Amino acid sequence: MVDLGLLGLTMQHFIDNMVSIPLIQPLIDYLLGIPVIGFVVAIILWRPMFALLIFPGLATLMTVLLFIIWFERKLTARIQWRRGPLEVLRWAEGIIQALADGLRYFFQEVIVHRDAHRPYFLQFPILIFIPVLLPLLFIPVGNIVGIRTPYALPITVAIVSLIPVFIVAIGWASNSRFAYIGTVREAFMYFAYEIPFILAVVSMILVYGTADMVTIVEKQSIPGIILNPIAALVFFISTVMATSRLPFEIPEADQEIAFGPFVEYSGIMFGLVMTIAYEKMYILSLLMSVLFLGGGNGPTIPLLGDLSAVIWMFIKTMVVMVALSFLRSIYARIRLDQALRISWTAMLQISLLAVAIGVVLNLANVV
Amino acid sequence: MIKIKFPKLKTLDNVKLHLDALVVGAKEAIKPGTITIEYPRERRLLPDSFRGYVLFSPENCISCFQCSFVCPANAIGMKLAANNRYYPTIDYTKCIFCHFCVDSCPGAALRPTKVHDVVYKNMNEMITSTEEMVKPPKIVREDGYTVEYVIDGVKLILRRIKEKDNLIPEFKPHEKVKEYSACVMPESCLACGICVSSCPSEAINLSVKEKEKELKIDKERCTGCGICVKECPVQILSLVRE
Repeated sequence: MVDLGLLGLTMQHFIDNMVSIPLIQPLIDYLLGIPVIGFVVAIILWRPMFALLIFPGLATLMTVLLFIIWFERKLTARIQWRRGPLEVLRWAEGIIQALADGLRYFFQEVIVHRDAHRPYFLQFPILIFIPVLLPLLFIPVGNIVGIRTPYALPITVAIVSLIPVFIVAIGWASNSRFAYIGTVREAFMYFAYEIPFILAVVSMILVYGTADMVTIVEKQSIPGIILNPIAALVFFISTVMATSRLPFEIPEADQEIAFGPFVEYSGIMFGLVMTIAYEKMYILSLLMSVLFLGGGNGPTIPLLGDLSAVIWMFIKTMVVMVALSFLRSIYARIRLDQALRISWTAMLQISLLAVAIGVVLNLANVV
Repeated sequence: MIKIKFPKLKTLDNVKLHLDALVVGAKEAIKPGTITIEYPRERRLLPDSFRGYVLFSPENCISCFQCSFVCPANAIGMKLAANNRYYPTIDYTKCIFCHFCVDSCPGAALRPTKVHDVVYKNMNEMITSTEEMVKPPKIVREDGYTVEYVIDGVKLILRRIKEKDNLIPEFKPHEKVKEYSACVMPESCLACGICVSSCPSEAINLSVKEKEKELKIDKERCTGCGICVKECPVQILSLVRE
């Protein structure tokens, strides 16, 4: 046994709360016997760390990012009778296109123009990862959860709501016309989707009677989408607005204002800011699968142990993400005033209806 | 001013339109009607009359300069060959691929091919000499399929055939009509001898004795190229058929 010394943590502390995967248990046991590697393996498979690093954390986030960017382009191309990305890794239909683009961005010059506010211009694309990555700690997958707290859902929603603030700051630091237009659009869209979005989440809190996501998932013998379909619809449309997918791709609108707030970025900085919408989409899809699709619930595969919940959760999240990407190929972009009208009339009304359903279900004590 | 009002749709109709769009999108995602040709790996089936690279067969050439005269882009030049005859060269920097030269060639010495993707390293290489025009150009064939656009009812679809297309189609030249040059008004002849010197096949013979001048045109040797007809200053020569 290796003593960490600090905080009096021992390896046993991690092993006690480790992800159990019966399929590769002999391999894990063997690795745990090796002095240093064993300690690393114990930390990685420690449940909170597993949530942070493997699923739903960094590793899956990166994989999903690489996949969904390619998938969105490919699906849109397919529906529009084009071919889409093809030449990078041809036999797999260009699946590593996003990786190739990322590498290219990485070796490209980052230009900071004269009028930009240099410190903020360079800081915010990196700082924005705080609100992007923090919600992953609170999202449970079976019994794998970073931090379990009764306030998980409000915290997640609050942190996700911080992302547009950073985007507005990015637009301000860019100090260019297109960036200003994009920033104002982003602010308007933020006001447009935030209230229906929060009302949809509140209605689900009312339905389950708790904001602890682990309990929410446990209580979903009937998925939330059947209990409160209107809240699911509002949540889905708000997600489309929040991640600036078509038809609500108003802040970025690359044909009109050339990626709006991100217009001045180049190189790896553009790579970072471009993926923000996709990362937000991933988090909101996770949240949607937790709230409405039953999270990691599903037939247990005994051989995979804790990983079976991971697999179910991953499939549900990917279905939501694919549905979100699918919208891109069939809708045209609507105007800002149209989007605002939709959100402040129809969306607000049906979100209030969703809250009413939530109150009724809460009083009837259905779940 | 005419103001177009936003069409008022009922909510149900609106939902139906959205669902229709989603269904169409799903259908196309499952079975797309993509009509893209992946060019280097497959080629479109081109018609035999495609106006591409021009090939030349010197044995049919009668050095009539017709191609050079007709060329609208002035891309064809005539070069003197070792056998004292003029043969065409094509400058592909100028050529507009109208194939007037092919159409105008009386001996069917120029013929069309479907080759349209020859790569040159510099501008000088694009001036193709007669020797280069005799054989088909070197191109890299990566294609395994030949693709054809077919109109199936109202839909445009692609049909893929797993065979290479023959880029040099069989050329059926039109039937030759034997023509030869003849002097229609011998009394007007100036005996200047321009026709004699212009004839590429040395078929014209001029004999001047005192005031008697005699222009003899050898029917066997004459190819009917018509250069003497063009060159004659008093325009008394003409191409006649047998």
